[in-house]
Amino acid sequence: MDTSLLIYGPILLKAARLTIWLSWLSLVIGAFGGLLLALMRISRFRPLRLFAMLYTELFRSIPILIVLFFCYFGVPLVLHADLSAFGAATLALGLHASSMMSEVIRAGITSVGSGQWEAAQASGMTYLQTMRLVIGPQAAQVILPPSVGIFIMMLKESSVASIIGFVELTATGLLIRESVGGGFTILGVVALFYFVMCYTISLAGGVLESKMKVAGQNLAIDRG
Amino acid sequence: MDYIFTLRAVTPYLDALVPAVLDTITVSLATMVLSLALGMVFAVARQSRHLAVRFLATAYVEFFRNTPLLVVLYFVYFMIPTIGLRLSSFSSALLAMTLHFGAYMTEILRAGLIAIHSGQYDAGRSLGMSRLQILRRVVLAQVLRTIYAPLGNQFIAILLGSSLTSAIAVNEIASWTQTAGAASFRYFETFLVAAAVYLVLSQAVNFARIQIGRRLFPAAP
Repeated sequence: MDTSLLIYGPILLKAARLTIWLSWLSLVIGAFGGLLLALMRISRFRPLRLFAMLYTELFRSIPILIVLFFCYFGVPLVLHADLSAFGAATLALGLHASSMMSEVIRAGITSVGSGQWEAAQASGMTYLQTMRLVIGPQAAQVILPPSVGIFIMMLKESSVASIIGFVELTATGLLIRESVGGGFTILGVVALFYFVMCYTISLAGGVLESKMKVAGQNLAIDRG
Repeated sequence: MDYIFTLRAVTPYLDALVPAVLDTITVSLATMVLSLALGMVFAVARQSRHLAVRFLATAYVEFFRNTPLLVVLYFVYFMIPTIGLRLSSFSSALLAMTLHFGAYMTEILRAGLIAIHSGQYDAGRSLGMSRLQILRRVVLAQVLRTIYAPLGNQFIAILLGSSLTSAIAVNEIASWTQTAGAASFRYFETFLVAAAVYLVLSQAVNFARIQIGRRLFPAAP
């Protein structure tokens, strides 16, 4: 392999950090947005349910690239608010992550038996208390493992931010490619960077999942 | 100055949208067929008796499942001329998409293959069928039923993923969005139109999947 690319190592590492930061931010936004949507989805009010359903269906049917363009070019025009490439990318990825997280969180919440709701209500707990103390801890075991998968998806999806000019890992690779005068080796290196990041996280997720399963089994035994 | 929303501003560009939509559909369909073929090869390879073959197939799947499609697109796009080949950006896009989605297809097909009980293979063998005959006559029909729904979802993923080929100059919907948006400076409207087109396409695929599924597998849920 071309050893002259080695000097770009530190730059790529820095860029990889940015990629992780962007994906992490969107995952956090996705967790909050997804929670909100999931609660809407199981709510008693039809309009809320409908909104949450339309939201997830919409984001499942539109490419992230279009959402990104929308956030970067469209929103500032209408709202007169200048959005940086980073801001637009975070918003677009966050909106997309929200739709995916909402499905995961909904599955988590509904996996907790209705008896738990009734028991909590019978002991005089409010909605918030039930969610926080009874449903939340049990749902978390179902929610966490697939969230790792969504994080990996975000890591890969964040590469589209390069198209609107946010210089993360992919854009850095393209810039380096231009400064070394073409070729394709650097893009292989970038792909390898993504692979190492995603694969490591997916391995860690596997460990987490098996631990969660054990915890879930213990819980089941405790419950009798 | 206030931004006045008007869809009429986009109408002059709708002529160019038609070939763009056709390109999106073509590249998606071609990717679907090719990645399915590639996935079939690797799914069988993952069940091979030889460790090296299994390892190679697993490495392929893990690599492409853990790298962004966009990077694969750039890689292929820049690699083709460097190694002395001449391919259109459409063909490069097709190659990259096939490699990327082939990995997902492998996993779907493998799940389908695993779902078949080993007794079925034994039964086939005891009837004197060859490996290929067992695959074709016993396994395939059953696999089809298991993989049908995930394949439909995968097709939508391919459809949406094809938007990234605009980055390597394929004239599909996302690339129309950029040119029409830049020319008319009506970004909001053009993206709305593009979003609507994608929405219709993916919902149509979903609808077709359910309808065809009902015909093919009457008892299946």
